[in-house]
Amino acid sequence: MATLTKLSGPGDALYTELCKAAQNSIEGLRKVFFQSDIEQLATDTARDKKELLPLVQELVNHSLLRLSKLDRALCWSTRPRDAATAISRLNADEKLVYSYVEDAHQKGIWLRELKKRTNINPNAVTKAMNKLENAHLIKSVKNIRAPAQKTYMLYHLVPSDDVTGGSFFDAGDLDESLIDELSNLIIFHVRMQSWADTKTKRIKRETTPPPLTAADDPDTAGGKKRKRGPTTDIEDSAATTRKYRLSAYDTDDPTIEIITQLALPAYSRAYPSAEAIHSFITTTDAIRASKAAQLTVAEIQNVVDVLVWDDKLEKIGDGYRTVRGIKFRPPGFLGDEEAEDGDKVEGNGLTQVPCGRCPVFELCGEGGPVNAGSCVYWGRWLKEGA
Amino acid sequence: MAQNLAELCIVLIENSLGELSAQIFATLAEHGRLTVHTLAEHAKIPLRRVRTGLTNLMEEQLVLHFAAEEGAPTFYSVNWRNAYNLARHTNIAELVNDRHGEHAADMVGNILQLGHARVGDLADAYDLQPASKRDSGIDTTADHMTEEGLVNGIAKTSSAKASHDMSTSEFHSTLRALLRSGVLVKVGTRAYMPPSDLQEQIEEAVIIDQFPDRKVTGPKKQSEFKLAINVLKRKWREDDAYSDLHDVGSRGAIKRPGDHFKTENKRIKVNGGHANGVLHDGEQSTTKLSDDLVVRVDFSRCTMAMRSRRLEQHAKRYLGGVTAAVYGALLQTLEGKVRAVHDDLAPDNSDDEESTLPCSTISEVAEILDPTIDLGASIKGLPGDKTLTNGTNGKKRHDEFGDFGIKRELSDSEDEPTTNGYTGYRDRAKRLSAIEAHLALLEEHARHFCKRTRAHGSNEWRVDFPALNATLIEAELDATILARYGKLALRVVRLLRERGKLEEKQVASCAMMRIKDVRAILTELQFHGILEAQELPKDNARQPSRTLYLWFFDTFRVQHLFLQQTYKGMARTMQRIPVERERYRTVIEKAERTDVKGREQEKLEQPEKQALREWREAEERLLAQVDRMDQMVALLRDFSGKDTSLTT
Repeated sequence: MATLTKLSGPGDALYTELCKAAQNSIEGLRKVFFQSDIEQLATDTARDKKELLPLVQELVNHSLLRLSKLDRALCWSTRPRDAATAISRLNADEKLVYSYVEDAHQKGIWLRELKKRTNINPNAVTKAMNKLENAHLIKSVKNIRAPAQKTYMLYHLVPSDDVTGGSFFDAGDLDESLIDELSNLIIFHVRMQSWADTKTKRIKRETTPPPLTAADDPDTAGGKKRKRGPTTDIEDSAATTRKYRLSAYDTDDPTIEIITQLALPAYSRAYPSAEAIHSFITTTDAIRASKAAQLTVAEIQNVVDVLVWDDKLEKIGDGYRTVRGIKFRPPGFLGDEEAEDGDKVEGNGLTQVPCGRCPVFELCGEGGPVNAGSCVYWGRWLKEGA
Repeated sequence: MAQNLAELCIVLIENSLGELSAQIFATLAEHGRLTVHTLAEHAKIPLRRVRTGLTNLMEEQLVLHFAAEEGAPTFYSVNWRNAYNLARHTNIAELVNDRHGEHAADMVGNILQLGHARVGDLADAYDLQPASKRDSGIDTTADHMTEEGLVNGIAKTSSAKASHDMSTSEFHSTLRALLRSGVLVKVGTRAYMPPSDLQEQIEEAVIIDQFPDRKVTGPKKQSEFKLAINVLKRKWREDDAYSDLHDVGSRGAIKRPGDHFKTENKRIKVNGGHANGVLHDGEQSTTKLSDDLVVRVDFSRCTMAMRSRRLEQHAKRYLGGVTAAVYGALLQTLEGKVRAVHDDLAPDNSDDEESTLPCSTISEVAEILDPTIDLGASIKGLPGDKTLTNGTNGKKRHDEFGDFGIKRELSDSEDEPTTNGYTGYRDRAKRLSAIEAHLALLEEHARHFCKRTRAHGSNEWRVDFPALNATLIEAELDATILARYGKLALRVVRLLRERGKLEEKQVASCAMMRIKDVRAILTELQFHGILEAQELPKDNARQPSRTLYLWFFDTFRVQHLFLQQTYKGMARTMQRIPVERERYRTVIEKAERTDVKGREQEKLEQPEKQALREWREAEERLLAQVDRMDQMVALLRDFSGKDTSLTT
C-alpha cells in the first residue's frame, strides 16, 4: 500500500479536468461528481465506461478522489494534490479517521463521536489524530455549542458560523462589548432617520425646579399646560422627550436645550431596513474593517431583533424606527447607563405596591405567618411617599 | 379560582357596607346559592339579622335572587361582577369627570353609592341640599373646560353654568346626557335575576310560544330555537333599555318654571352650545325625565371608556401627546357606535370581522377633539395652528421650518399667508388634513392603532379592538415583567412570545446572551410561573440529562396569573387601611368626637393635626393604589369583554 505506481497520463488529465470543474463551481472542493458528470468531462481521456472505470479507480487509489454515496448513487469529489500525497502515506486506521473528519467537513466532528463511529481502539484513534494534526491535515477548533468537547476538522477549512458562533464570538466567548457598541451605533443611525428634532432654548432660572411633566409642544406648553393640567399623570412623564445637554458647561450655562421629537408624516419615507443598516455599519469606520467584512445581514438582523425586544426600535413597514424617547450614547460617553434606565422603570399598579414584588407573596394570607398587618414592606412603602 | 377574588370582594363589602353584609356575602360565596334559612344556618347569624344584611346587599345589587314561582323558596347567590365593581367606583367617577364635568361625576358618584336610584329621589336629594354643591361648582370652569370629552354641548352648559347651583333643568339634562352616552342605564325588573335563571325563563317562554310540542332537538329545530331565544333576549334587552321616546315623563315638558327656561335657552345659544350641532340643549332641557325611572351605572360602558383611555395612553407612549389626543377623540366617537365591549347577541359572522367594526369619519373626530391642541406641532412639515389664524405668523413659521431644511409636503400648497376673515373654511380643511396626518401616523405604527376603511383616500377610520386589546395586554404583562425581573428577562419573554418554543441554546443565540445567564433567567421566570418548559425526552428512559427542554411563554396563563395576583394585591392594600387606622386611632377618635368635629383647627394640637394629615395621606395613597390595580384588572380581564370568570 505504501508504494503506489505513478499516476498514469490519462488519469492525471482526468484529475486536472475534474479539479478545474470543481474550482469553477460554487461549491469548490465540495463539488460532487456523479458518474454522468465524469463521463461528460472525460470525453477526451476515456471513450466509454469501460475505459473510465480503471481511471477513476486509479485516482481513488491515489486518494485524489474521494468516494461517497449520495441518494444511493456513487459519487466522487476531488482532493487537493498535496493532501492526497500525505494521505497515501497513512495507515489504514489513520485513513479511516481522516475520512470521517473529512465527511464532517466545516461542521467538524467531536473526538468522542469519532471514536464511536470508527469503532477502533480509542487509543489508536488518539494516536492517529495526533499524527494527522502534526501533519497539518486536520486541526482542532473550539465549538461554541459544546466548548468542552474537542472538535476536529480538515486543516484547510474555515470553521462554519455554526461552530464559531458567528461574528459576535471572540475565541468562543460572546463579545458583549461589540454587541453593545453595535447596538448603540444602530440606534444612532436609525434615530437620525426616524424623528425630526426641534430645539428650543430656555433660560434656566436658579429657583425653578427641573421642568415639570410633559408638554408636548414647547411653544404652547405654558398656555396649554395650565388648562390640561389634570391629565398629566405619571404615565405621561414616560413620554417626555426632553433631554438636557450633558456638558461641563451645564452648571454655568444659563440656557437649557430642550429637544422635542417630531414625528415625520406617515408613509412619507422608508425607514432603514436591516439591509440598509448592514450597509451603513459595514461602510462606516466605526468598526474594524476585518470585522465589518465578516458581519452578515442576518447577524445585523439579529441585533435589530434584540433591540426591538428591548423596546428600542419599532418596526414600521419594512424598516425600523427608534421608539419615541430612545436616545443613543454619544461617543465617549462613560455615564452609567444602567442606573439611568433603572430610574425609568415605573411598573404598573401591581408592581408599584409591595405585593407586586413581594418575595413571600404566596405565603401571605389573613391569619397566616405573613399578612397585611404584619407586613414590613407596607410600612416602608408608606414612609417612602410621606 | 375564586379565592383571591372572594377575599377581595369580602374586604370591599366590609369597607362599604360593614361586617354583617360581608359575613353574609362570604357565606354565599363559599356555599353557592342558598335560601335564607340555610344561609342563616351556615353563617351562624340570627335570621332577622340575615334578612337585614341581605337587604343591604340587594340594594347594592351584590346579591341576586330568584324564586321559580309564586310561593317557592327564594334562592340567593352572589353577584361577583357587581361586588368587584365596588373597587371601580373611583375610576368611573374620574372618567365621568373627564368627559362630562364635575356635576355629572358627582351625580354618578352618588348613584354608584346607592347602587341604583329613582330619578325622583335623586332630584329630591339635589333640590333639598343645593348648598353642598356650591363649593364644588366654582372651579369647574377653570379646570375642566378643555378636557377631551367636554366638547359636546351638555358638558359645556353644565360647566358654563357652574358658577351657580345646579338647576332642575340642568340636573335633567346632565342625567339625559349620561343616559344617552350610556354611562347610566335604566334598570328593569330583570336586573336582579341570575343570568342562568333568566336564560331558563327565556327558553321556557320560547318553548311555550313557538314550540308547543316541546321538541327542540335536531339540528334544524335547534338552530331555530337558538334564533328565537336570541330574538327574545334582544327584545327584552331593548325593553329594558333607555330610550328618549318612552322614558320621558308623561307630564312631559314642565310649564311651571317655563319663563326661566327661556332665558336659559338664550344663554346657551350665546355660549355656543348650539354650534356643536349634535345635541340641542335648548329643546332638551324642556323635557323632564320620568320620576319613576330607575337608573344605575352601566359598568361595561365605563369599561369601554377606560379601554379608550388606556389605548390613548398607549399611543401617547409611542407617538406623543398630540397624536394620542387625536386618537382619543377617534376612540370616543367609536365608543358611541359599539353596543358593548362584547355583544354576545351580535350576529355571529366571524368571517367578516372587518365589517362589524364601527367606523368614524374625520369630521366626527374633529368635532370632538379639543380645539386648543396645536395639531401641527408634533408632525414635521404640518403647519402649526398659529399659521392658520394669522397670515404673517404663518410666514414666520415657514422660515423657521426652512432653517431646519425640512422637506415640506403638505404645507407648501396650503400654508400661503391668508387674509383674515375668510379663514373659516380653509381652517377647517387644514384641521381635517392635520387630523388625517395624525391618524395616518397611528395607522403606520406597527401596533396598527387604527385602520382606514377600504380604499385609500376614503375618510372613514376604524379601530380593530380585539387585536389592540391583545397588544394592550401584552404591554401590561411586559411592564410587570420589566419592573419585577428586569430588562433581560423581558427580552427573553418577548423573544419566546414571538418565536414560540425554543431550546435554551436557541434562546441564548437569539437574545445574544451567554447560555449561563440565559439559564439563570429562564429558571427564575419558570419558578415564578411566567415561563414553562416542555420536556422532550430523547429516549425512553426519560432521564433529565437526555431530555430537551423547550421553553415557552403562554400569554393567557400569565395574564390569568397576574390577574389573580392583582386581586390579592388589592385585597392586601385594602386590608392595610384598618391597620394604618389603628396606628392613628387615638387622633382619629379625638377628631371624630362631637365636640371636636368641625372645629379641628382650634381643638387639636399641632402634632395631632400632623398625625391626622399623615393618616389621610396614607389612606389616600393606599386607595389610589387600589384604583391603579383596578385599572390593571380592567385591562387584563374586562377589556376583551370575553371574560367569563365573573358570571354566576
